[in-house]
Amino acid sequence: MSSSMLLAPLCRAFGIVGAAVALATGFLTLVSVIMRAVWSQPIPGDVEMTQMGIAFAISMCLPYCQLQRGNIIVDFFTQSSSDGTRKRLDAIGNLSLVLLYGLLAWRTSIGAVSVREAGETTMIISLPMWWAYACLAPGLALAGWVALVQGLFAKTTSHSKVAA
Amino acid sequence: MMQWAPQVGLVMFVAMIVLMALRVPIAAAMFIPGLIGYGLMSDSATALNFLKGSAVARLTVYELSVIPLFLLMGQFATQGGLSRDLFKAAAALVGHVRGGLAMASVLSAGAFGAVCGSSVATSATITQVAYPEMRRHGYQGRLSTASLAAGGTLGILIPPSVPLVVYAILTEQNIAKLFAAAIIPGVLAMMGYLVVIGLYARARPEMAPLTPALPWSEKWAALLSIWPIAGVFVVVFGGIYGGYFSPTEGAGVGAVLTLLVGVAKKELKLTGMKAALLSTADTTAMVFMIFLGADMMNATLALTEMPKMVALWVSGLPVAPLGIVTAVLLLYIVLGCVMDELSMLLLTIPVIFPAVMALELWGLSYELKALWFGILVLMTVSFGLIAPPVGLNVYVVNSLARDVPMNETYRGLMPFLAWDMVRLVLLLMVPSLSLWLVGQLFTR
Repeated sequence: MSSSMLLAPLCRAFGIVGAAVALATGFLTLVSVIMRAVWSQPIPGDVEMTQMGIAFAISMCLPYCQLQRGNIIVDFFTQSSSDGTRKRLDAIGNLSLVLLYGLLAWRTSIGAVSVREAGETTMIISLPMWWAYACLAPGLALAGWVALVQGLFAKTTSHSKVAA
Repeated sequence: MMQWAPQVGLVMFVAMIVLMALRVPIAAAMFIPGLIGYGLMSDSATALNFLKGSAVARLTVYELSVIPLFLLMGQFATQGGLSRDLFKAAAALVGHVRGGLAMASVLSAGAFGAVCGSSVATSATITQVAYPEMRRHGYQGRLSTASLAAGGTLGILIPPSVPLVVYAILTEQNIAKLFAAAIIPGVLAMMGYLVVIGLYARARPEMAPLTPALPWSEKWAALLSIWPIAGVFVVVFGGIYGGYFSPTEGAGVGAVLTLLVGVAKKELKLTGMKAALLSTADTTAMVFMIFLGADMMNATLALTEMPKMVALWVSGLPVAPLGIVTAVLLLYIVLGCVMDELSMLLLTIPVIFPAVMALELWGLSYELKALWFGILVLMTVSFGLIAPPVGLNVYVVNSLARDVPMNETYRGLMPFLAWDMVRLVLLLMVPSLSLWLVGQLFTR
């Protein structure tokens, strides 16, 4: 599996870009807040840029989380199952995630095309709305690919995690 | 299809639970039955059409940008060595009393919780600095790890708090007001934990040997070293409650300031930044995946009108309203023992919240009732993080303190859990503990 050797650094790169874009929206907000306080005039469209930036950021974070098997499972009921059973169940779990990522990647891309044709834009600085749709596709697609590779070939099992 | 709506809803729900029990990731276990149910309630074309916009609709919610940004803030604080400064300062202050280092770990966790919205991150970072110190001074494993696990819950009990943000979004409540409502209960939690440690250490002095007090000059030096983190806290929360910016903006400001503090202290290097970004990416994706799954499930549940029926049924029960709220909280405690607490909220709040809001409780207005119930729910979330069999904070602490067996930590946690129960009853019976500060800060 030479592709899985490339997959890990690619997912890490996506994750770093994703979190860095989130941080960039933080800088944008800070500057905007200062401008509003000093000149009572924020950066025009700061909310719109944050919304789009964060949506892109989150989608870019998905592959790294999948690589780390970060998606939360309930392992309470299978604690006494054998290792083999758990591996098989985890393979099914990963393939079900492929369905989730794949469907969303596909449908969101279709959404991007139709929103582009409709020519929708954001309220204040008229960013094309289709960008928000299109920018989700790469993260969703890569996460789906990772889940597929894990579902078909992985030899390890997942652990309990918590999001809080 | 409409006459089958309740059945579709029920089958979906059962399918979801079965999938979850079979280790299918929670996001997919909610998404797949939800999507199939949506298709059954309408038709497959409508379901596929719904999917075109559902991910964008969720990920572009402006208020939700606080989640990655508050996570970043906590991560920069961790990598910037702020937790170490906090623990040193707390240890300098109270380290010399019996159980003082365990108290210092709780105090520093509480202070760290004021810039971090996640209990797992708080437990991990405080354990890394506090556990070796407690061990070095001869503290017994059980007391150390239990204090760290309980202290870690302050990460979410003291605002900012990821579960509270999620609750605020789901119930369309004001995040700043919810944070305000959480402050007194959070401080109450922290003080109770200190008392528990004090009593524990007095009853079993061999567990916590005395350590010498530091001279005042060193105490002041240690206290002064925490001004950067105190500064970030004052700017973020002063800004939010002073009306300079919204909580959403506060998260962005806080993340950037914490980064700048770490860089200025020369503690946050390139590797630390990379680790902070990756850890944020991991948790952010984890949280939003549950959102995507729960959105699909909840969209279908709304079509089946199940939430409305549940609310109607609950309000018709011949049980006192307070009894119903108690039952809901108990349900959350039990559910929290087997599943992730955030998924639990995302899944149940859309159904349970309207039912609770329909009840007459302490004569509270709708908004105050929503804030008060949010704080109660948050308490049950923190309870699940340290209660057996799957207390995730316990996992985190024990993975870093490998010489203490996990059941020892659970045994040590019993008095802390007892205080959690007492506090939950207090908050249930005295809503003003949560609501008084909201009234003070928001006079409009």
